[in-house]
Formats: sequence, structure tokens, C-alpha cells
Amino acid sequence: MKTLCIIILTLIPFSTFSQIEITGVVLDSKNHPVEGANIYIEGSYDGATSTETGAFKFQTSETGIQTLIVSFLSFETYQQTADITAFSNMTIKLRENVNALDAVVISAGTFEAGDASKISVLKPLDVVTTASALGDYVGAIQTLPGTTTVAEDGRLFVRGGDAGETQIFIDGIRVFTPYTPTTNNIPTRGRYSPFLFDGISFSTGGYSAEFGQALSSVLLLNTINEPDQNKTDIGIMSVGGSLGHTKKWEKRSLSVNGSYINLAPYVALFPDRNDWERPFNGGSGEAVFRQKFNSGLLKLYTAFESGGFAVTQEDINVPEGVYFKLKNNNLYFNGSYRGMLTDNWSIFGGLSYTHAKNKFKRLSDNIIDAENAIHAKFKLKRRFNNRLKVQAGAEYFSTDFNEQFESFMSERLSYGFKNNISAVFTEADVVFSKKFALKGGVRFEYSELFKQSTVSPRLSLAYKTSNNSQVSLAYGHFYQNPDNNILKFNQDLNAQKTTHYILNYQLNRDGQIFRAEAFYKDYKSLVKYDTEFADFTSNYNNQGFAYAQGIDLFWRDNSSVKNIDYWISYSFLDSERNYLNYPEAATPNFANTHNLSIVGKYWIEKWKSQVGVSYNFASGRTYTDPNRDGFLNLKTKSFNNLSLNWAYLVTPQKILYLSVNNVLGFNNINGYQYANIPDANGNFTSRALKPAADQFFFIGFFWTISEKGTDNQLNNL
Amino acid sequence: MKSLVIALICCLGFTSQGQNNFEKGMAKAFNLWQSGNMGAAEQLFERIADAETEEWLPSYYVAQINSIKSWAEKDAQTLNAQLNKAQNYLDLAKAIEPNNPEIFVMQAHIYTNWVVFDGATYGMKYSTKINDLYNSAYKLAPNNPRVVYNKAEWDMGTAKFFGKDTKPFCKDFAKAIELFATFKPASDFHPNWGKERALQVLADCK
Repeated sequence: MKTLCIIILTLIPFSTFSQIEITGVVLDSKNHPVEGANIYIEGSYDGATSTETGAFKFQTSETGIQTLIVSFLSFETYQQTADITAFSNMTIKLRENVNALDAVVISAGTFEAGDASKISVLKPLDVVTTASALGDYVGAIQTLPGTTTVAEDGRLFVRGGDAGETQIFIDGIRVFTPYTPTTNNIPTRGRYSPFLFDGISFSTGGYSAEFGQALSSVLLLNTINEPDQNKTDIGIMSVGGSLGHTKKWEKRSLSVNGSYINLAPYVALFPDRNDWERPFNGGSGEAVFRQKFNSGLLKLYTAFESGGFAVTQEDINVPEGVYFKLKNNNLYFNGSYRGMLTDNWSIFGGLSYTHAKNKFKRLSDNIIDAENAIHAKFKLKRRFNNRLKVQAGAEYFSTDFNEQFESFMSERLSYGFKNNISAVFTEADVVFSKKFALKGGVRFEYSELFKQSTVSPRLSLAYKTSNNSQVSLAYGHFYQNPDNNILKFNQDLNAQKTTHYILNYQLNRDGQIFRAEAFYKDYKSLVKYDTEFADFTSNYNNQGFAYAQGIDLFWRDNSSVKNIDYWISYSFLDSERNYLNYPEAATPNFANTHNLSIVGKYWIEKWKSQVGVSYNFASGRTYTDPNRDGFLNLKTKSFNNLSLNWAYLVTPQKILYLSVNNVLGFNNINGYQYANIPDANGNFTSRALKPAADQFFFIGFFWTISEKGTDNQLNNL
Repeated sequence: MKSLVIALICCLGFTSQGQNNFEKGMAKAFNLWQSGNMGAAEQLFERIADAETEEWLPSYYVAQINSIKSWAEKDAQTLNAQLNKAQNYLDLAKAIEPNNPEIFVMQAHIYTNWVVFDGATYGMKYSTKINDLYNSAYKLAPNNPRVVYNKAEWDMGTAKFFGKDTKPFCKDFAKAIELFATFKPASDFHPNWGKERALQVLADCK
């Protein structure tokens, strides 16, 4: 029919048609004229551009029922179908496009990294170029507000919560053992290579109903969808080496990567405060397979890691020191499929499996623990239009934990638990206008272990106060079962609970971001026990409680000074809790009142180098001095660290990294250990807990070999 | 960069005889563009693209016009919207012609605009993709002058960044000029731009 029309049209001159005039005016929602809109009859070439006054006028030879279309950048396209004669003297109101860059975003509690988000606080490269991070994504996140400085631990502590209250997800699927296990005073690192991810979202509270079993925080990591090209990566570091290869086909790709770390040469050159029998050494392998379908993407990720160390550490109660040996094996599999079912329905399904086995020897005790865990998730999302999206999903967590304990005092003991949780959630995203948006959801969980059901409502709102600024609010209930260290001894407990209240202000200008956030967090049903250490003889209950409140500030500027990019984070935290073995409510030793991070990067064009600096300050942490009354009655002196790094592009394919931690050699003290028994004068003697080494050096050389010779290390800067 | 627009406009030509509706529409759009009314040309290309779902050229030109507009744009939000619009229309063209070297070149231009706009965010993401696009385009059409000179210009920029000698690329521009002399577009409406720009860079080489 159409071709027939065209044939007829081309044979007959236009002028013989009776023409109809289409007229009208285009306005925005405030009745201001819209200039430059494209007004036309669908399927024809007949149309016009609106003038300064929003008016338009054009002739058409079309007849009968037709669709009039009005489109303009940053407005939603307007469509009306009617008889052609109805299109005269029209008043068309265009609705603003709520997906536009300047539209409101729900930002309370959440920091986005990566370009996928409208307002990203960290760029993907920041993870590897933050001086103090030493290539660990967790280290980069520790420079954001809301985190506290617990230098000897290395994990994320968020807003007065302990490290177990933060959960990490890869492609929406839980990671059960995100950190390499370690022992006292040796900070851990995130297991996964920062080069795997191209998007990171860090939430310090008030997150979506999609995520549960986290009291304080979630860290969402998204793996790269499609690698750039075939290549081989070689890394030679002062602490080991790595080799990787990526092969790309039309619809699929495979990346494999292996690395070996051995700290022995480093420790031999720069001895630290520990007496190492065998410094940390371990190997790891990773493989990622991606398959593209017509309307979806399948990703399969597997990582295996094996490592260990043996060390004797100073201890005030054991003059010869405490011997500790660890061997860890960890297997992680994560598979996910994400795709579109129709234009408006999308589907997500994912599964992860974790097998972790740790063999410890501490003094004469032998401990072997094994964890097998599964997380399965299924989610459907329906997009009704740009202004309304609804999602619903179901998930299942299963953890099977077993521990064997052997010492000269007891027979071999074996104990453990199964912690299975099912959950369903639903959530709606409603955008009322470019200025006002809401996200509301509810999550229902059932714990098989406790036979307990919980319901968690979540709500966040955002309102745009000016072109560059907005205010957001978030509220939610969050539940989490107690961790393995408690559950292995007692399962007659309940889920722990927090309620978050968050008020956020954000100002965003070209190259500058300012955020201020105030929060209050109320903890209920925390686990308590009545012995010094949790064991079978302890009496457990859920009567613990806590609060945390504070203010987080963040400023980033990469536009004021050429080639300089910097950010400043400050957190004020006031928190007390009464949980675990605490005799009374007190500020826990992982909650610093003041935390400050300053991170700067300077690109020196002439030297093809990027120089990075980071400074971290944290006020003192609490500890208990038994010579005085009270619990957690004193504070350490404050913590200071200045780190530098240098990245030099030797050629486009070769890069040299150099970084030094604690350049100025601050003597930091993480806490004090006291003798169990007082000396002759009735005094408990003490020993300062210092980092194993005050400073750390890192040198690495990375080389990318690609077929085309075009891929380069600039990507790694 | 402005010279590219001029080059593009100068190279446009069309016949007035035996035109069908599509040709008439395209001719009118090019007329508008030549007479300096890029916005009206863009909108006519949009209408044609909307009506002719089997033709990749109108979408291609909507993408090109938005890509060109973004060079002079100072407002980040408008620039974003323009580049997104360019991408959406190029995706339409790609769906019709999945392996067209002209579309690869335009895709590389759009990515390059993102890199120029915000190198810290998009440099890592797009620089290898741009390389890939030029390499694929070159594999398909080693004698297309636009492929040859755009690829050379990108490689030259990379070499410049790393403080390498950019002279070796001059011969590619000379080659492109030769190719322009013999290049015959498939129709009056097929891409035939870029000679001016190639000449300009070649002149700078000497």
C-alpha cells in the first residue's frame, strides 16, 4: 500500500493535491513557548519547526486518520492520532523528559562510581589510582564519607556498624567471603581484581528492597559486559606476578587470569614486627565467560584462590609469642542472565556458589571450618513508561557452616549450622516530574533457622531544589541474621534489626560535587552473651541495642585547577552500643568520632605521569584500661597516614607503578593489649598494638600485548 | 572541525530529474543544510528516517548533525542530549546496515566526542572501541578516503598524546586525498564528506 502511495505520489505533481494546513503552538509545562520542536505527520515528510513563539504551520497532502508527532531534545515525544482535519489550532504541551541528565536522582545514602550513573562520585579509574588504596577496591571506598578507619582490619566499617554489617554483591549476587582471611593486626584485602568491574555503587544506608541481610551497608560491583579486544596482560610486582589473556569472538568472550603473590622477599628486605615462619603466599585464578544473545547477556564468573601463612606474633600474656598458621581455599562461582523479554519487561536471574575452607592453628588449637553457601535470585521488571517502573523478585540464601575444633585439652569437636533464608521483594520507581521522584518497596524474609518472618519497608524520596541541587530522604528497616561466629554455637536467636533515617543534600556543578548527609540509625535485637568469648557455655539473647548518628560531608572538584582532581571526605560519628560481651553501652573500638580523607591526583603531561596523594586522619579509638574503672574507658591517640603513588606511562602498552604508604612514618597505634594478671604493684601492664610495618612500598610493572597493538595501559591509569 | 561541515556541504550534489519522494525529501534536506539551516535539515532527516524504515541515510545524517552540533556546545546537559540523540539515530542506521564502514566512522566520531567532552570518564571506556571501529572499517574498506583519513587522524592524536612522532601519519592523509579524487559515492545522498579536512591536516603536516 505504502509503495503504491509513493509511486502515485511520484507520478503526480504535489500541487494537484488538496492540501490541509496544520497549525498550532508548542508549550512546555509552564506554558512557555518551545522553539525548535519538530512537528510532523508520522510516515510523511510533511512537517515544520516551531518558531520563537512556539507556533508552527505546515501544509500536508495526507488525509484520513493520521498521527501527529512533536519531538524535541529533552522533552518526551508527543503523539496524537486523529483525523487530519483535527490538527488545526492545536495547543501542544510537551512533558519534560524525566530521564534527562538534569532530572532528579534518588541519592540518599548512595555513592555511585562509573559512568552509568548520572552523578558519579568516583570514576572507574579511581579504584586503582587512589594512593592509599594499593589497588584494592575496598581501599578506594574507605576514602568516602561514612566509613571509619580501622587500619588493622582492612574491611569496610560503615556508620558505626561492624564489618559484618556490610554485604558485597557482584552483578546483584551475594559474595559470601569477599575478604582474604587473616589474623590479628594484619589488614585484609578485597579478593577480587579492581579491573574486573566497571561500575561500583556504595550505599551507606537506606538501600533498595532488593537487598537484604545487611544491617548497615551494601557494596554493589558490576563486572564489565564486554572486553575491548584480544589481549595478553603481564604484571610483575614487588610482591608477585600475574598473567591474563582475553579472547573475544563475535558474540562471546573469555578472560582468564592467574596471579601468584609471595611476600617472603619483601619481608626479608623490610622485616616487620611479626616473626614470620612463612610469609603470606598464595595463588589465584579467575575466568569470566560472557555470551551475548539477541536481547540479553549471560555472564559466568569463577574464581579460585588458595593461600596461607604462618607467623608468631607478640602477646603480652604469652612471652614466647602466639603462633598462628592459616591455610585458606576459596572457590566462588557467579552466573547471571539479564535480558529484555519485551520492550517493557526485563528479566534477571542469577546464582552464586561459595566454597570456603580455612585451616587454622593457634598455639596448640587446630580449627578447620568449611562454609558452603548459595544465593539464587530471580527478578522481573516492568516499565510502564518513563515515569513508572515496578520490579518484583524472589531470592534464596543457603549457608551450611561446619567447624572442627581440636586441642590438647579436648576431644575433636564438630559443630555447625544451616542458615537458610527465603525472601521476596517488590519495589516501584515513580517519577512525578523532573523535580520529584520516589522509590518505595517492601521486603519479606523468612529464616528457616529461627522460624522467623520479617517485613522491611523501604522508602526514599528526592526533590530538586534548584538546577544543580537536590534534597533526598530515605527510611527503611533492615534485618540480618547473626554471623557465623555466633550461629556456630547457638541457633536459638532472632534476626538483628536496624532502622535508618537519612537526610541528604547534593550540589552538582560541572566537575564539582558537594554532598552533605545527616543520619540516624537505631539498632535493636543485637546478640549478647555473658562470657568473655562466645562459646558453647555462653548464654545468648537478642537484647542488645545501639544507635549511631552523624554527619557525612563530601567535596570533589576536578575542574578548578587544570590537571588536578581531588576530593575531601569528612565524617562525624556518634555511636554507642551494648552487644556481644559488653557489660554496658559504650562506643565500640571501631567507631572513630572524626574521619577525614583527602585524595588528590595530578597529571603531569610532560612526564606522562600521574602523581597521587592521599591523607587520612582519624580520631582515637576506644579501648579498656583495666587499671581504671569502666569499659572502653580510654581512647588511643589519633591516626594519620600520608600515601603517595606514581604511575608512569613508559609506552602506551607499558606502565610503571610506585606507591608508598605512610610516607612520613607516623607511629600509629590501633589499641592496647593488657596483661590478664596484674603485676606485683597491682598494675596491669600494657602493650601498644602497632601495625606490623609502619610503611609499605609497592612497585609494579604492567604490560599489555594486544594483536592490534592498540590497547594500552592508559586504560589502567 | 568547522571545515568538516563546509567540506561536507561542498561535496553534496544531487540531480533534479526522475526523483522519487525519498530523493526529493533528501534533496530538500541537503538544500536546507547547504543554505545554513542545519536545524531544519536535521528535522526533515528525522521525518524521512521515521517514514522510510529501510533507508539508513536519513538516520545517519541526523546522527552526524547532532555530532557536529556537540562540538560547539558548552552546556553539558545539552551536549549529553545531543550525543545520546546521535547515538539513537546511528543505532537505527546500524540496524539496517550492520557492517557499513561509513557507519563505523560515524560511531567513532560520536565516541570521540564523548572522550573530548570528559576524558576521565569516557577515555578508558571508548578509546579502545574507537581503535576497534577504525580497524574494522579499514578491514572492510581500505580505499574509502573517510576511513583512511579519520583513522589516521585518531592514530595521530594518540601518538601526539604519548609524545611520539606524528609525521608517519602524513602519508595516510596524502593517500586519502588521492582516494577522494576517485571516490564515487553509491548515490548523490551517500556520504561524500571530509576532503577539506584531510587537505587541511595534510597542509599542517608540511
